[in-house]
Amino acid sequence: MPEIRVTPLGAGQDVGRSCILVSIAGKNVMLDCGMHMGFNDDRRFPDFSYITRNGRLTDFLDCVIISHFHLDHCGALPYFSEMVGYDGPIYMTHPTQAICPILLEDYRKIAVDKKGEANFFTSQMIKDCMKKVVAVHLHQTVQVDDELEIKAYYAGHVLGAAMFQIKVGSESVVYTGDYNMTPDRHLGAAWIDKCRPNLLITESTYATTIRDSKRCRERDFLKKVHEAVEHGGKVLIPVFALGRAQELCILLETFWERMNLKAPIYFSTGLTEKANHYYKLFITWTNQKIRKTFVQRNMFEFKHIKAFDRAFADNPGPMVVFATPGMLHAGQSLQIFRKWAGNEKNMVIMPGYCVQGTVGHKILSGQRKLEMEGRQVLEVKMQVEYMSFSAHADAKGIMQLVGQAEPESVLLVHGEAKKMEFLKQKIEQEFRVNCYMPANGLLPDAKKPRLLHGTLIMKDSNFRLVSSEQALKELGLAEHQLRFTCRVHLHDPRKEQETAMRVYSHLKSVLKDHCVQHLPDGSVTVESILIQAAAHSEDPGTKVLLVSWTYQDEELGSYLTSLLKKGLPQAPS
Amino acid sequence: MDPAEDWLVESLRLYQDFHAFDLSGATRVLEWIGDKGVFVAGYESLKKNEILHLILPLRLSVKENQGLCPERDFKVCHGGFSDTSVFDLKHVPDTRLLVTTGLPGSYLHVWQVTEDSDVIQAVSTIAVQEKEGSRWPRVAIFSSMAPGVLHGVRLSSLKVMDLESQKTTYTSGVSDSEELSSLQVLDADTFAFCCSSGRLGLVDIRQKWAPSENVSPSPGAAGGRWCAEVGGRGPGPSIASLGSDGQLCLLDPRNLCHPVSSVQCSVSAPSPDPELLRVTWAPGLDSCLAISGFDGTVQVYDATSWDGVGNQVEPVFTHRGHIFLEGSQIDTAPLVTTHTWHPHKPRTLLSAASDASLHVWDWVGLRAAC
Repeated sequence: MPEIRVTPLGAGQDVGRSCILVSIAGKNVMLDCGMHMGFNDDRRFPDFSYITRNGRLTDFLDCVIISHFHLDHCGALPYFSEMVGYDGPIYMTHPTQAICPILLEDYRKIAVDKKGEANFFTSQMIKDCMKKVVAVHLHQTVQVDDELEIKAYYAGHVLGAAMFQIKVGSESVVYTGDYNMTPDRHLGAAWIDKCRPNLLITESTYATTIRDSKRCRERDFLKKVHEAVEHGGKVLIPVFALGRAQELCILLETFWERMNLKAPIYFSTGLTEKANHYYKLFITWTNQKIRKTFVQRNMFEFKHIKAFDRAFADNPGPMVVFATPGMLHAGQSLQIFRKWAGNEKNMVIMPGYCVQGTVGHKILSGQRKLEMEGRQVLEVKMQVEYMSFSAHADAKGIMQLVGQAEPESVLLVHGEAKKMEFLKQKIEQEFRVNCYMPANGLLPDAKKPRLLHGTLIMKDSNFRLVSSEQALKELGLAEHQLRFTCRVHLHDPRKEQETAMRVYSHLKSVLKDHCVQHLPDGSVTVESILIQAAAHSEDPGTKVLLVSWTYQDEELGSYLTSLLKKGLPQAPS
Repeated sequence: MDPAEDWLVESLRLYQDFHAFDLSGATRVLEWIGDKGVFVAGYESLKKNEILHLILPLRLSVKENQGLCPERDFKVCHGGFSDTSVFDLKHVPDTRLLVTTGLPGSYLHVWQVTEDSDVIQAVSTIAVQEKEGSRWPRVAIFSSMAPGVLHGVRLSSLKVMDLESQKTTYTSGVSDSEELSSLQVLDADTFAFCCSSGRLGLVDIRQKWAPSENVSPSPGAAGGRWCAEVGGRGPGPSIASLGSDGQLCLLDPRNLCHPVSSVQCSVSAPSPDPELLRVTWAPGLDSCLAISGFDGTVQVYDATSWDGVGNQVEPVFTHRGHIFLEGSQIDTAPLVTTHTWHPHKPRTLLSAASDASLHVWDWVGLRAAC
């Protein structure tokens, strides 16, 4: 019977940040390390205390896998690896490795420079974190260790996004990250083979929606741009260097050509260079159409789209400009925005989510008066349009993926439980599999039961269950502690300290579920059980281990004693 | 250039708004609940069908700041499973109940939409008559203190059943076995029926059967099927009757024997599936009608100045989206299965086709009235 345990540390049913812990046949893998964009305090990071109470993260986790570069999947990574502490391998695809640090640095700048946050990860931490990354190729089986292997599959969604299969022996789990099943202009659709995992963990944020077609979203975009330009307005489209920008450029170019439009379209040079560079590197990640055009000509040699010069912003007449950065938080896009904001004929189209604190976020919340540097107030008269081009799997897409992978069970994460019962039943009926939906921190299987010690006090007709300490205090009794001590003889001619060291190493490797410590005075503790090594009074070749435990730890104490009586493994010389 | 792209560019000037969706199964049902929700249901015979309660995309519902709303998707608010095909669904007003009908035609099914779960529960199955091959009962709802379901396959089997007690509170009491094609409740005491032959009547359930009726359409329409709808805003006739040969008759309820006008629509007749014929009146525009069921289009007509018999008329608008945008199956040309007008956005319609596509469109009116 496969033993797979899934613990969402953030965003199990909390749309906003992704971080899932999977235990499979004794191996522990962390899937994504995202942050919740809606919070400014500790709630934005996943709750790592669940893992840290088991000891050091590096010892507990076998690896970390990052599915793609969106901040709600990688935003907490530097915090996790450099501030909480993790030195093990971090797996991701090559494009993700290239783009992650840029987004993290951008985000860091906004948090620290714009919002003045303290206790945030530094640029150096981002660099140090990325040094731990091991990049993988699609469909390449990567051996993490003797037993654990992983494999990445194409997920669509954004450049470099992947779904991951995690395999230990004959047990496997597939984690989708964000994916979509319909191709768009620059990316293909997600695909996976009939790998039949024991469990498929699928993203289900949009599980209860039926998505409007890509074509209609594009139509809406074209309509808005066209109308603004027809009326002599200027259109600003703030973009991140990669992904959406290329898609929208291709769209506009096609439209301009067809309609024989004359208004100029520009994009900032920073965008071209970066985009060209990345697309050349990752051409295999884009879809067939793009690859063909790229082979025929440089993808960014558009007929109607030219490089932007900041002086053009003052030119009269209509124009469309793509500029970075994407959330209007600094740089060229913000500069242009300030120039154009006062004219109601102009338009700004935000193609995605903006982090709190940015100008983008403010105008999308409806703010029409913005306080800029030096207490200057900017009145926003230009039209503000919020368009969403992000591609996610809807109910239909999820069904398609389940049909492709043929898992034994399905786990729906990031959705809203009350609203997913229908989808759960649909999946169960159609594919005859089990379907689960956990909440943050709750597991599909039960947590270990814990023993509670207390005292029942009956007074008059009153019952109370209180802690033993409180009971003693109330009754005015002193506490007596019962401790058991046992002697175990070991053959070991070395010094006591060395014997103690051997005991520590041995117990540490055997008792993975317990807290084993080596104290400065040479003694070893297992939970609250104390072990001390002493020399035998008569025989120097024998050491005496004193194992001592309280009444409450009787079970563990007895177990330890019998374990030690079996002897220690040969010490390496 | 690919025809879909061509059409999309054209659509920029033809439509204000346009949304296209792919359902998991084609629907013949588009039933409103309030002005923000709509029911759809599958009609496949060999597999389980879904009944879905969909909430309209937010972008279409917000009144202010539409630009700041990026949400263009339908939300599946509730969903249920039906073992039988669903050809029609009616929501019982002021309740959380639904009544569905389809094949096999001997049963009606009652469902409940609950608050605390997103699953639509099957409540009961009501046997209404003997199985009759491919005929299925038409339904309409009398909403009152005690809601009643009007149902029947033929004039002779027309009954009203009290939903709660399941007792029959009204029967037509006639032996006329003419097949029904549509039923429509007009107020607490009256309903309209239309037979496949084109015979129309208005019935007062407080009296013994004595409907005001029309004369069946001319022999030229023999073999054709008809459907009808009572509605219409404005001073003109309020009953429209559509035949599978493309004939559209307008009638005044006070004088059903003499149609006000009868025109020939610009459609490729006859309809490949006359059961899918649909004619609807625009609730927000005067004398404006929409028809579908002939091909993959929905046509909008302005009936303001229609008169006489046999004139050929042209639509003021034709929705061709289902033809140009691929649905799930691309081998056969899609057929529009049903359409409906938005309760208060005057030019917004929803249409569904046999390829499981569902469109929401807001066409640009070229003239003031329609």
